[in-house]
Amino acid sequence: MPQVATDRFGTVEYSQESVIEFPQGLPGFESEHQFLLMEQPQTQPIVFLQSLMRRELSFLALPVTAIDPDYGLQLSTDDLAVIGLTAEQTIPLQLALLAIICVDEGMPPTANLLGPVAINRDNRRAIQAIRDDSRYSATHPLFSPVDQTETVCS
Amino acid sequence: MLVIRRRAGESVFIGDEVEIEILEMTGSQVKLGIRAPKHITVLRKEIRSIRQANLAASQPISTTSLENMLEQLRR
Repeated sequence: MPQVATDRFGTVEYSQESVIEFPQGLPGFESEHQFLLMEQPQTQPIVFLQSLMRRELSFLALPVTAIDPDYGLQLSTDDLAVIGLTAEQTIPLQLALLAIICVDEGMPPTANLLGPVAINRDNRRAIQAIRDDSRYSATHPLFSPVDQTETVCS
Repeated sequence: MLVIRRRAGESVFIGDEVEIEILEMTGSQVKLGIRAPKHITVLRKEIRSIRQANLAASQPISTTSLENMLEQLRR
């Protein structure tokens, strides 16, 4: 089995079938096409997208529904084509939708819900899609202020 | 903000090198053609914000921050 050295996970053994392909890369990382989806019990529900090319590059991500249970996304025909799907044949279960999390030290963490990562579970092709509405931002607060100042019920 | 009315087929110049042409209007969408030298980056605004978010998210995160976040998520 191939191996890859990573900063976060040390040396990782992986199978070729588990590699997630981003044919277009990600905005800002256009030449990063291959990632591993690392799911570890100790960091549940957070998962990591570890680059195969750059050992130091691993994005934290959460399933979008863990952030907003009502989150829905209509992928454009072009975006669907990139991951090998058409609008007619797509069923929601086929797609994994992840939001990349940004943690700036000392700042509240944010989730990129404007540009969710959509992974076709069947062929492991993925794209960072961009919503065509302005319902969510690229820096959606992960924890609503209400959660942080939760008052104790008397 | 400078506001200019243009018809399909007409264009505007920004400086000497950047030309933006209105190619087509259909319903609520406008198709633009942009002629600019290679060193000028042209990005849709949404892509620009996603690019910035990705660059910020690519910074390594400390174990402490990760653990704090996990604790808050599991509450």
